[in-house]
Amino acid sequence: MGFDIKRFQGDVDEELICPICSGVLEDPLQAPACEHAFCRACITEWISRQPTCPVDRQAVTSSQLRPVPRILRNLLSRLCTSCDNAPHGCNAVLKLDSLASHLVECEYNPKRLMPCEAGCGLVIPKDELAEHNCVRELRALIATQQGKLTDYQQELTEQRLIINEHKRELALLKEFMRAMRVSNPTMRALADQMEREEVVRWANSLSRARVTRWGGMISTPDDVLQMMIKRSLSESGCPPHIIDDLMENCHERRWPPGLSSLETRQNNRRLYEKYVCKRVPGKQAVLVLQCDNTHVDEHMMVEPGLVMIFAHGIE
Amino acid sequence: MANIAAKRIKREFKEVMKSEEVAGGAIKLELVNDSWTELKGQIAGPPDTPYEGGTFLLEIKVPETYPFNPPKIRFMTKIWHPNVSSVTGAICLDILKDQWAAALTLRTVLLSIQALLSAAEPNDPQDAVVAKQYRESPQLFNLTAKHWTNVYAGGPSSIFDFNQKVQLLIDMGIDEHQARVALSTYDWELERATEQLFS
Repeated sequence: MGFDIKRFQGDVDEELICPICSGVLEDPLQAPACEHAFCRACITEWISRQPTCPVDRQAVTSSQLRPVPRILRNLLSRLCTSCDNAPHGCNAVLKLDSLASHLVECEYNPKRLMPCEAGCGLVIPKDELAEHNCVRELRALIATQQGKLTDYQQELTEQRLIINEHKRELALLKEFMRAMRVSNPTMRALADQMEREEVVRWANSLSRARVTRWGGMISTPDDVLQMMIKRSLSESGCPPHIIDDLMENCHERRWPPGLSSLETRQNNRRLYEKYVCKRVPGKQAVLVLQCDNTHVDEHMMVEPGLVMIFAHGIE
Repeated sequence: MANIAAKRIKREFKEVMKSEEVAGGAIKLELVNDSWTELKGQIAGPPDTPYEGGTFLLEIKVPETYPFNPPKIRFMTKIWHPNVSSVTGAICLDILKDQWAAALTLRTVLLSIQALLSAAEPNDPQDAVVAKQYRESPQLFNLTAKHWTNVYAGGPSSIFDFNQKVQLLIDMGIDEHQARVALSTYDWELERATEQLFS
């Protein structure tokens, strides 16, 4: 709906008046063929009742409405008007195009947001400042926040339930796929891919580790040590289908040619720095997973990766 | 009342007051209440019609949804015209119904009603009895319309024959307007009118 014509200084040209509300055009649009211009709000309301131009009744739909020409916009923006808050004491006279920015800052705007100076930190419309009571407002705020908190907690519980259900279903599906892959090559490929992705996800969840003393490597760990490492791997979420293979690969008898003896290890020492190592949580041991180390020579790597246990020197 | 309607009516009221039609006495407009929801209009009967010299009052009611819906207008002055009900004063005019457009104003609407008096539309009648007479005995229609204009709208042409017939029925104890309607309906044949009134 347009601006009240009484707010403007001097005469306003008839061309700048909306034929519907008889105010000065606000955010105008024009009909496509006859080019009659109206306030956006007015013409939208009219077309919702009758899809015609209100002046000459030519057929018009709301999607056909166009912005008015620049010259009309310029003429409108140059009109001088009083502020919306003139009844509240604002004496400013503004060009129509600067009215919006003035209204945001106008001191006389009864709804202008002011910070409470008593210290509650809330921002309140100016006309409500006198009635404002910090304690009451803050209590109301706490009540709503608590309500929200309860809602969120409830939602969290529900989501957890759903996630658990999904996990169970996933486990079943995996079981199903394992049974299928034996006979079906497509299923085998799919299952293999899923397993690979599972390993990558797990690898990404582990933090990087740096080996400061490669000499501290234990190439023949005993069973007790192996059990400890295995438990730690399992707790870190290691996919069950690789955990046994990985643990096998913690002993030099299963290491690749480049690592299998003290001699080859000494020859290849300089290649160690190329390894991307992941920490076995809480242990002086690292994982060198194949998926992290595709850049390493074949004779330094085995599927699905190596477990290297150290006496010390892991960061 | 919605702000937009009151704003429009105020502006239109001024527009009518400044118009040359008001200066020439063709139309008039006055307020009935302070809320701008009800006005009284007045149009002069157009020249070279049976309504010439008459003054016709109109009741104008402005809906809250104005100007998205048309004003509700009816004749308060009784009139004999095919597109105006001789009983209620309801007007059959497309721009007051489905052909209403938001850019029309009280001034243009009053002028359109005045134009309707000059150019009746008997194929889209509001009053079937009047329309039938208009089509079948145009001369009698003209006289009847003149007579009604004289009696109800202050028109100049008094029709002696008609006045006498109405007086006859009044003397028989019939209400004046009832007598006039009956006579007008039966093409001023006294017998048929009487028959209908006493049946």
